[in-house]
Amino acid sequence: MSWQELLLELTLMPLLAFVIGLAMVLMMRRIAAQIQRRVGPPLLQPIYDIVKLYSKQTQISHGFIHELGIMMAVGGYIAAEALLPVPGMDGLADKGGLITLIYFLMVPTLGMALGVGQCANPNGSIGISRALTAMLAYDIPFVIVVFGVAFHYQTTNLAEIAAIQQAHGVSGWGMMEMPLLALAALFALQGMMGKQPFEVYIAPAEIATGPMVEMSGKFMGGLFVMQSFQYYTAGVLYTILFLGGGENWLTFLPKIFAVVAIPMTIAMLFPRFRTEDLVRLMWKWPVMAGLLGLAFVMN
Amino acid sequence: MNNLILLVVLPLITAFLLPVIDRFSTLAARWSGPLVLLITTFIGASAWLQLGTGAVSLELGGFRPPLGIVLYVDQLALLFAIAVSFGTLLLWPYGNRGGLRQQTLTLLLAGSGSGLALSGDLFNIYVFYELVAVVSYGLAVSLRTPAAFAAAIRYLIISGFGAALSLAGIALIYDATGTLNLAQLAQLAPEKLNDLQGLSAFVLLLIGIGVKAELFPVNTWVPEIYATAPKRVSALLAGLVSKLAVVVILRLLVLIFPQPEAHTLLLVLGILGVLTGELAAWRARDLPRVLAYSSIGQLGIVFIAFSVPGEAGVFAGLAMALHHLLIKPALFLLAERWDGSLAGLTGAAKASPLGAALFVLFSLSLLGIPPLPGFWAKLLVLTSLAQMGAALYYTGAVVIMLGMVLEANYLFRIIARMYQKAPSTGTPPGHGRLDLAISSMLGAGLIAAVFLLAPLADRLQGIAAQTVDVNQYIEAVNPVPTRNPI
Amino acid sequence: MTPLDHLLLLSALTAVFTLAAGNIRSAGWIATLLYAAQGLALVKMWGMGYGPEVADSSISFQLLGQTMHWRFDSLSWFFALITVGAGFFSSWFASGGWADHYRAQGNSLRLFHSALALNVFSMLVLLASGDLLSLFIGWELVSWASFLIMGLASTRAMGYAMRYLTYAIAGAMAILMGIVMVHAQTGSFEFAALAAAVPGMSNGTLWLLLLLFGGGFGVKMALVPVHLWQAKAYAETPGPGAAFLGAISSRMGLFALILVIIQLVGIGRLVGMSIPYTFLDARDLLAWVAVFTMIFPTYIALRQHDARRLLAWHGVGQTGYMLLGVVIMDDLGSAGGLMHVFNYATYQAMLFMSVSAIMYRTGTADLNQLGGLVTRMPLTFIAMLVGIIGLAGLPPMNGFVSKWLIYRSLVAEGMPLLFVGAVIGTLGTILSVYKLIHNSFLGQLRLEHAKVEEAPWSMTLPMLSLAAIVFLTGYFPGVVLDWISALQASVGLPVLAHHLGGVHFAQGGLDMIWINSLLIAGIAIGALIFYSTGRSQRVHQLDNYAGGHFLSADVRYQYSDNFYPGLLHLIGPWYRKSFRWAESALVSLTDALSLAMQGLYRQVQPSIYLLITVVIALSWVNIR
Repeated sequence: MSWQELLLELTLMPLLAFVIGLAMVLMMRRIAAQIQRRVGPPLLQPIYDIVKLYSKQTQISHGFIHELGIMMAVGGYIAAEALLPVPGMDGLADKGGLITLIYFLMVPTLGMALGVGQCANPNGSIGISRALTAMLAYDIPFVIVVFGVAFHYQTTNLAEIAAIQQAHGVSGWGMMEMPLLALAALFALQGMMGKQPFEVYIAPAEIATGPMVEMSGKFMGGLFVMQSFQYYTAGVLYTILFLGGGENWLTFLPKIFAVVAIPMTIAMLFPRFRTEDLVRLMWKWPVMAGLLGLAFVMN
Repeated sequence: MNNLILLVVLPLITAFLLPVIDRFSTLAARWSGPLVLLITTFIGASAWLQLGTGAVSLELGGFRPPLGIVLYVDQLALLFAIAVSFGTLLLWPYGNRGGLRQQTLTLLLAGSGSGLALSGDLFNIYVFYELVAVVSYGLAVSLRTPAAFAAAIRYLIISGFGAALSLAGIALIYDATGTLNLAQLAQLAPEKLNDLQGLSAFVLLLIGIGVKAELFPVNTWVPEIYATAPKRVSALLAGLVSKLAVVVILRLLVLIFPQPEAHTLLLVLGILGVLTGELAAWRARDLPRVLAYSSIGQLGIVFIAFSVPGEAGVFAGLAMALHHLLIKPALFLLAERWDGSLAGLTGAAKASPLGAALFVLFSLSLLGIPPLPGFWAKLLVLTSLAQMGAALYYTGAVVIMLGMVLEANYLFRIIARMYQKAPSTGTPPGHGRLDLAISSMLGAGLIAAVFLLAPLADRLQGIAAQTVDVNQYIEAVNPVPTRNPI
Repeated sequence: MTPLDHLLLLSALTAVFTLAAGNIRSAGWIATLLYAAQGLALVKMWGMGYGPEVADSSISFQLLGQTMHWRFDSLSWFFALITVGAGFFSSWFASGGWADHYRAQGNSLRLFHSALALNVFSMLVLLASGDLLSLFIGWELVSWASFLIMGLASTRAMGYAMRYLTYAIAGAMAILMGIVMVHAQTGSFEFAALAAAVPGMSNGTLWLLLLLFGGGFGVKMALVPVHLWQAKAYAETPGPGAAFLGAISSRMGLFALILVIIQLVGIGRLVGMSIPYTFLDARDLLAWVAVFTMIFPTYIALRQHDARRLLAWHGVGQTGYMLLGVVIMDDLGSAGGLMHVFNYATYQAMLFMSVSAIMYRTGTADLNQLGGLVTRMPLTFIAMLVGIIGLAGLPPMNGFVSKWLIYRSLVAEGMPLLFVGAVIGTLGTILSVYKLIHNSFLGQLRLEHAKVEEAPWSMTLPMLSLAAIVFLTGYFPGVVLDWISALQASVGLPVLAHHLGGVHFAQGGLDMIWINSLLIAGIAIGALIFYSTGRSQRVHQLDNYAGGHFLSADVRYQYSDNFYPGLLHLIGPWYRKSFRWAESALVSLTDALSLAMQGLYRQVQPSIYLLITVVIALSWVNIR
C-alpha cells in the first residue's frame, strides 16, 4: 500500500465514522421517540445541534485542562477509528490490534475525566466517579469476551478476525460459534454506551447531568461529536467480533446500525440502576455468561 | 611449656596473698591482680606460639597418670585458658570497684577457670568447676541488693544440685572404668561406657555441668543473676564461665560419649534452649535481661552445633562460642549504664553515640549479618546441620532461624528506641570511659576479624580437627594402660 | 581493574563521600555527579546491554574452600542501569530546594544522602553476585540499607521500618535455608553447581527449594501474602528516598528470582512440578501469586487518601505484573514483565517526586486537603499526568507497551483467568490514579494554596526528564527491548524479536511509532477543531457555582473523600483485613509464648523442676 492510499484511508475512516455516527444518533433519537410515541427530530437535527453548539455565545472555559479534555475526547476517537477496519479499508489495524483498541477507547474517557475535574464542579466529579466505576463494571465481562475472541481466532488483528469469519459464511460468525460471549458482549455494550438503565453517571435530576454540567458551547459540541464516534465504534467493534465484519458496505451498514439499535430499544424498558446495583449486575450475569462461553471456547 | 601451670597457680596464690599485700601497700594490692593476669596472658600467648598444632600433657609433680594430676594442653584448652586470663584482665574491677573482695574473687575465677580449661581428668574438672561456682556466687552478689541475694540463692540451689548430679555421674563412670583420667576414659569408653550406665552418667554430667553452660533447662538462674549482678560480672559469667563449661561438655562428648543418643540429647536441649531463650527475650523489659535471654539462645545454638558429630560440628560450635565470647561481654559492658526499663533508653544514642554505634555493630554480628563474623559462624552451623540431612537436625536449623527473626526484632526495637529523639524528661546517661574503651576494643577486634576471616577460619578448623582427634589425646597423655580396672 | 571494579569503586566512593561530607550544601549535587559517573561506567559496559558479554570483578574471596566472586552479565546490567538511574534522579531531586527544606525541618542530610548511596552500592553488589554466598551477602546488605533509609525520617517511619525488618529477616532466613540446602546437596555455593544438580533433584526437594527461595525473594517483592510491610514503609520514607525505593528496591527480589528460579531451575522443571489434586503446577502457583499481588494491593490503594500510600500500594500491585510476565516465560511475556521493571521505575519515581513536590509546597499529601493545584504547579502536574498515564498503562506512555506484551502473551498462551485478573488490576489502577490527580491537581483550589508557587527547578527538571523518558520509551520501545532481548538470551528465556517501534508478527503486532503518531495526530485534529471554532472565555479558577448557587471561594465543595462510594458500597465488605489479622495473630501468639517462656524462667522451685528434667532425661536414655 502506498503512502498516498494510506493517507487517504486515514482521512476517510474518521470522516465516515463521523457521518455514520451522526446518523446513528439520529436513529437513536427516532427510536426513543417511537417508543415514547413522539414524532422525533428531523433528518438533519444532529447537524443543526453541532452547528448550534459550536456557535454559542457563552462558552465558559475553566482552564487549559478543561479544553485539553475535550481535545482528547474527540482526538482519541478520531485516532481509534483508524484501528477499526471497515470494508475496503484496514487502516492501521495491523499496527495495533484488539488490545490496543480497548486501551485507545480509554483515552477519551480519561480526557473527559480530566476536563471535568478541572471544572471543579462537585456534580461533575461525582459523575466521573460513577462513570469510572461503571467502566470497571462493564469492562470485566468485556475483557472476558475479548480474550475469548482473540483466543478463538488466535489473533488480535481485527482485520484478520473479520476475514476468518467471512471465509466461513454466516455459520462462521462469532455469534454462531460463541453465542454466550456474544450475549455477554451485548450486555457490556449497553453499559459502555451509557444507555439506560446504566446512565447513573448522567442522572440529570440528581447530579445535573454529571460530567456535562460545566460544558457549554463547543465543549458540549465536542462531547456530542464524541458520542457519535462512540456509537459508531461500539457498533463496528461488535460487528467485527461477532457478526463477520463487513464484506461490503451494503451488508456492513445494516449490521452496525442493528447493533446500535438494540441497546436503544432495551433502554426505555428499565428504570435507572444505582451504581452499586450496576456493578453487581455487570459482575454477575454477563461475567457468568462470559466465563461459560470462555470455557466452551477454550475446549 | 611447663610453666603453664602458672596459669592456674599464680592467680590462685595471688588471690590468697592479696589481703596480706594489702596490709603493706594498697596500691600494690590494687595492681598486683592485673599484673598477674598480664603475666599469665603472656605465658599463655608464648605457649601458644610454641605449641603450634601439637598437644602436650603436663604431669604435676612428675606422677604419671592415672595416679598424677594431669594438665592437658592442646590448642583448644590453651585458647580458652588464654581467654580466661585476658578476659579477666579486661573485665578486672579497675578503679577499686568493689574493693579487695572483688579483686580476690576475680583472681580466683581466673585461676580456677584456667584450671577447668586445662584439666585432663574428671576429678580435677569437678574441683575447679566447684571453685568457679563458689566464686561466681560471690561475684554475683557483689552489689548486695536484696534482688541480687534472691537471685544468688536460686543460683546456689540449682548449681549445688547440678554439682551433686555431676558428682553422681562421675561416680557412675568411675564405677564402670576405675579411672577418671580423660585419656584413659577415652580408651576405655568404647567397651565400658557404651551402655546404659555410660549414657546415664553422661546425662547426669551434662545436666550438672550444663548449669554453668546455660543449658536448657538448668539455666533458670541466668536472667536474674545477669540482671542483678554488676554488668562486669555478668560479662564474665556469660562470656567466659559459660564457655568453659561448654568446653568441658565438648571434651566429654568427643572423648567419652560419642554415642548418637548423647548427640541427640544435646540437640534436643539445644533446640529447646534457643526456642525458650529467644522467645523469652522477645518480651523482656530491660536490657540486661534481654541480653541474658539472648545469651541462652546463643548457647543453645552452640549445643546444636556440637550435636553434629565430627569435625564440622565442633568447628561450627567453636566458632559460635568464640564469637559469643567476644560479643556478649561487650554488650553487657554497654548495658552497665543502660539497665532499668527499656523505655528509659529513648534517645540514648544522643548521649552516647559511640556506645549506640557499638551496640548496633554487636547486634548485627549477633544476628549473623554478613560480612560480620557472626554470619560465618552461623553459616557453619547451618551447613553442618544440613549436611546431616536428618529431620531433627533440620528442625534445629529452622529453630535457629526462627530465633534470629525474633532476635532481630527485639534487638532492633531497642536500637530504634535509642535513635529516637530524646524525651524532654532527660536523656539516659552516657557510658563510663572504661566500659566504652573495652567494648570499643572488642568491636575493633570484631571488625579486624572480618578482614582476617580466611586465616582465622583455617586456624579454627585446625583446632577443631585436633579436638576431635581422640588418638592424639590418648597418645599425648600416654597413660599406663590399665589392665585391671576394679 | 576491570570495568566492573570501576563501577563498584565509584559507587563505594559515592557512599564514602556522602558519609564524610553529606552535610555540606553542595553535597547533593556532587553526589548526583557521582551517580552520573556510575552511569558512565555502566555505559562503558554497554556490551552487556546488547550482547552476551560478561564482566568479572577482580575482587574475590577464598574462605573455607569456597570462592566468592562477583561478576556482571546482561541481567545485572539491566537492573544496574535502573538502579543507578533511580539513584541519579532521586539524588538530583534531593539536591536543591528540597535539601534546604529537609534540613530546616531538623533532619540530617548526611544521613539521607549516605543512606541513598549505600542503597545504590549494596544493590550493585547484589546485582554483581557470582555465587549463592555472595548473593546472600548482597541480599542482606540491601535489606539493611533499605531499613536505614526507611527508618531515618521519624519515629513513625521507624515503626514501619521495623516491621519491614522482621519480614526481611524472615525472608533472608528462608533464602539462607535454601542456600544451605543447596550446599548440602551439591557441596558448593556456585550457581553452576545448582544448575547441574537440578535435573537430579526429586520434585519434593525442588518444591522445598522453590518455596524457600520464592518465599524469601517474595518478601522483598512484597508478594501476597507477605505484602503488608511495603506500602507504609515506603510512604514514610523522605520523598526522594521513596522515589528511589519505589522505583527499584523491591525489584531486587525479582532479580534474584530470575537468577535462581528461572535461570538455574528453569521453566521445564517448574511446569513439571504439579500440585497434587489440582490442575496447577509450580509456574501456575507463581502466576496466581502474581495476580493476587496485582489485585489486592491495587484495591487497597483505592481506599487510601494519603497520596504517598496510594502510590506505594500501587507499587506493590505493579510488582505482580512484572512477576506474572516473567513467569509466563515465553518471549512476549517475559519481555513484558522485564520491560515493566524499567517502565515502572521511570514513572513511579516521577510520581513519588511529584507528590514530594506537592508536599514541599503545601506541606501535606492528604488527598482530602488538596485540590486545584494545576494552575499553581503546572510542571508538576505534567509530571504527574504522564506518570499516571504510565501507571494506568494507557497509550502513549511506556507502561502501555509492557502491559500490552503481557496481555498478548496471556492470550497466546491461553490463560484467560490470569488475563482477567490482570485487567481487574489495571482497571482498579485507573480508578485510583484518577482519584490521585483529581484530588490533588484538579477540582477546587483551596484558599490557603492560592499563592502556592511551582516547585523549584531542581525538583521539576528531574521530573520532566523522567517524563520525557516515559514518553520516549513509549514511542520507541525498541530501545528498551534491545536490552531485554540480550537479557533474555543470557538467562535462557526465548528471545523476543522486535524492532524500534515494538513487535511485529502476523497474529496482531504492535508498532508504537504508528500508534503514538496516530494518537497525537488525532488529538491534534481534535485541537484544530476545538480552536478553529467559536471563542471560549476563560474564567477564574475560583469563579464557580453549584446547583444554581454562586459560591464564594472559601466554601469547600471539592468532591474528594470516599471518591467511589458506589463501588465501595458493594466491595467494601470484601475488605476483611485477613492478612493484617493473621499478622497480628502471629504477633499475639509470639507474645503469649514469650510470656509462657518467661514464666518458665521465673518459676519459684527450680530444684523440683530440675529433678523432673533429670528423671525424664534418664528414663529417655533407658528406654532407648
